[in-house]
Amino acid sequence: MAPQAESQPVRKILVVGGGTAGWITAGVLASRYPRRGEEGISVTVIESRQQPPIGVGEGTWPTIRATLKQIGVTETDFLRECDASFKQGSHFVKWVDGSDADAYYHPFTLPVGYEERNLAPYWLENPRGQRFAASMCFQTDVCSHALAPKQITTPEFTGLANYAYHLDAGKFGPFLQKHCIDKLGVTHLYDEIVRVESKEDGDISQVVTKSGEVLAADLFIDCSGFSSLLIGKHFGVPFLSKKDVLFIDKAWAVQIPYPTDDAAITSATMATAQSSGWVWDIGLTTRRGVGYVFSSGYMSDEGALQELKNYLSARGDLSRDLSFRKIDINSGYRQEFWTRNCVAVGLSAGFLEPLEASAIVMIELSAKSIANLLPSCRGGMQQAARLFNDTFRYRWERIVDFLKLHYVLSRRTDSRFWIDNRARESIPDSLRDGLEYWRDHCPWHEDFSHREEVFSAASYQYILYGMGFQTYPAPWLLNDRERNLAREKMSEVAQYAKALAASLPGNRDLLSKVRRYGLQKI
Amino acid sequence: MVNLVVLSSQTHRNVRIAATLSSSGDAAVNAVSVIPREFARLLAHYPIFFTKSPETGQFEPAALLGFEHHENLFLMDGRWDAAYVPLQIQRQPFSLIPRHGGAEGKEAALDVALDLDSPHIQTQQGERLFLNDGQPSKFLQSITSMLSALVSGSTEAYAFTGRLAELNLIEPVRIDIEFVNGSETKLQGLYWIAAAGLKALPAAQLAELRDREFLEWMYLQMASLAHLSALVARKNRLLSGATAARP
Repeated sequence: MAPQAESQPVRKILVVGGGTAGWITAGVLASRYPRRGEEGISVTVIESRQQPPIGVGEGTWPTIRATLKQIGVTETDFLRECDASFKQGSHFVKWVDGSDADAYYHPFTLPVGYEERNLAPYWLENPRGQRFAASMCFQTDVCSHALAPKQITTPEFTGLANYAYHLDAGKFGPFLQKHCIDKLGVTHLYDEIVRVESKEDGDISQVVTKSGEVLAADLFIDCSGFSSLLIGKHFGVPFLSKKDVLFIDKAWAVQIPYPTDDAAITSATMATAQSSGWVWDIGLTTRRGVGYVFSSGYMSDEGALQELKNYLSARGDLSRDLSFRKIDINSGYRQEFWTRNCVAVGLSAGFLEPLEASAIVMIELSAKSIANLLPSCRGGMQQAARLFNDTFRYRWERIVDFLKLHYVLSRRTDSRFWIDNRARESIPDSLRDGLEYWRDHCPWHEDFSHREEVFSAASYQYILYGMGFQTYPAPWLLNDRERNLAREKMSEVAQYAKALAASLPGNRDLLSKVRRYGLQKI
Repeated sequence: MVNLVVLSSQTHRNVRIAATLSSSGDAAVNAVSVIPREFARLLAHYPIFFTKSPETGQFEPAALLGFEHHENLFLMDGRWDAAYVPLQIQRQPFSLIPRHGGAEGKEAALDVALDLDSPHIQTQQGERLFLNDGQPSKFLQSITSMLSALVSGSTEAYAFTGRLAELNLIEPVRIDIEFVNGSETKLQGLYWIAAAGLKALPAAQLAELRDREFLEWMYLQMASLAHLSALVARKNRLLSGATAARP
C-alpha cells in the first residue's frame, strides 16, 4: 500500500442498509465516538425505502441491555415503542423424546454458585428428583409463572433476574433510526446504491446512488441484509453454507392476536419440536409471533403449514383471518466478514436458524468489535480485519456447534429429520470432541478458548443436562466441601424462587405499568 | 387488614374517632409519604427523603420515622412525640376512594371512606363525625379538607419528583448506621437531592425550578436531612434505656 494511503485517517463511516443491523451498528459507533464537527468520526446511514424487514429477529440476549444503554435510549421508551416484553430464557418443549412431560428451560441467569465453582457434578450425583435448571436456577419458576424479571421500582436496565427482550423488529429499526438521527448526529438518507466504485488497490472509494449522490467513505459497513451488496455482490466473498449441519431452511411465520387485553405474556421463548423442525412462540405486548422453521428436505411447504396450524389449533389460536408468510433460511456465513475497507454486519455476514436467537446478539458483538478495533488510519485496517475475521469465524462456528447440540442430544425417532440430525457426518468435529470430553467432565470456562463466548459453559450445562445427557466425573475429582456447598446453594435457589414468586409482578402487569408510569433511571 | 366503606351520615352517625395511636396499627411504619405543602412544618422534626412508590415506581417524598420495618420512633405509648404529625398519619382511618360506578376516564369523583377495622373507631369516646342532625362535625370537616389537600398535594409531589428525575436531580443514597449498642443497619431504597447536580444546573432550568416553587421545596428537603442524626439519637435513647433496664 502506498504510504499516503496508509496514513489516510479513518473518519468517515458509511453504513449501507438500515434495519436492526444498520441502526444498531450506527448507534454503537456514533455513541462511542460522539460527533465533533469536522474533527471526529462521522457516521452516515443509507437505506432504501422499500426494504421490508425480515422480521424474524424478535428474540435477543441479555447483552442487548448494555447495547441499548450504550446507544443512549431509555428502557421505558424502548419497551413502549417496540412493543417489547421481557425474555428470561428459552423453554424447549418435546425436544428430548416428544412425550407430554418433555420440557426444559435454558434460563438467562447463571447456575447457582457459577461464579465460584462448577457445581454441576453434584447435581448429577444427586438431582433430588429435580431437573437441572430448576435445581440450579430460580428463574425457571419465575418463567413458568409468566412473571417479570423486575419490579416497577427496579431501575432501568437492571433486574432481579437476568433478562433480555422480545421485540417487534419492524418497530425496533425505526426506533433506533430516530434516536441515531436526533440524538447522535448520524446522517441519514433514503436512496438506493446503483454503483460501487473502487480505488486502484481494491478498496471501495465511493458508492453512487440512484438519485446521483456520490458517497465517499473510509470504512463501509455492509448491513444490506440478504442482498449482501458489498461483501457478496461487490467483493464476491464466498458464502459458507452450513446446511449439512443445520437442516432448517424454511419457515412459516404468523402473528397471533391475544384473546384479551390482559392475557398473560410468556417470559421465555417457547420452542416446540415438530416432525421436521420446531415452532417458535414469542409474546410481545401487542401480539404473539409464531412460526415453524423446518427442513424442506423432510417436509413440504403444505405439510409444514398444516403442522403449524395443528400447533395453533391445539391452543385455540387458529382462525380464518390469519396470514401466513413464508421465509427462506440459508444457514451459513461468509468466509470472511471484513475485507479491505468493508465489514459486513447482520444478515449480509451470515444467518443461522433462529434457535437461541443468535442474530441480534451477533450484530451487537460485531458493532462493539468494530468500535473497539477501529483503526486511526487505513494502515491499521488490515490487522483489524484479521482480528475481526478470526473472532467472528470462531463465533459463528461456536453458534453452529451450540445449535447442533440441541439436535444431537434429541432421542426423537419419529422422523428422519431427527434421526439424520444425529448422523455422525453431520456433526462438526469440534462438537464431537466436546461431547466426548463432557462424558466425564462437566462443561466449564476452560473448555472454550475465547474471553467473550456467545454461549458460555453455563449454556452448555443447561442444554446438556436439560436434555438428559449423562456426565460421569471421576469420584476423586469430587469432594465434600463442594458437595456441601452445592447442597446449600440448591436450597437457597428453592427459597429465593419462592420469595421472588411472591414479590415479582406478572410480565403483563409490569409492562402495562411501564406503559403508564415508566421506569426510573436510578 | 383494611376494610374500607364509604362514609355515610346514616350508618356512621354514632361513630367516634379516638386519637389513640397503636404500635400495631396504621402508624406502625418507618416512613410515611408526605406532600410538599407540609415540608415547612415537617422541617422541624423529620428527615425528608424520596422513596419509590411500590405501585408506580415514581418517586414520592417521604418522612423517615424509623430504621426497621414497622419501627416508628415517633410513636411513644400511644401518642405522637412531635408537635407536627404528617397528614398521612393524621387522616387515618379515613381515605378517599373513587366513587363506585363513576365515569371511566374522566376525573373520578371521590368519596370519603372509613376503615372499619381501624382501632381508632370507637362508640364511647373520641371525636364525633356527625352532629345529631346528620350534619358533618367540625372534626369531619377538618378530615375532609385534609384528604383533599393530600390529593392535590400528591399531584404536586409527582410533578415535583418527575421533573427532578428528568433533570437527574435525584440520586440514591446508602446510609450505614451504627447504633449505641453496636448493632448496624443499612438504609436502602432511599433517595435524595443530587446536590452536585443542582449546583451545576443551567440558569434557565434553575429559574424554572424557582418559578414552580420546586427550588424552595428542594432546599427545605435538603435542610431536613439534619434530622437524620436526631432520629439516630432517638433510637439510641431507646436502646440504652432498654439496656439499662436489663438486670
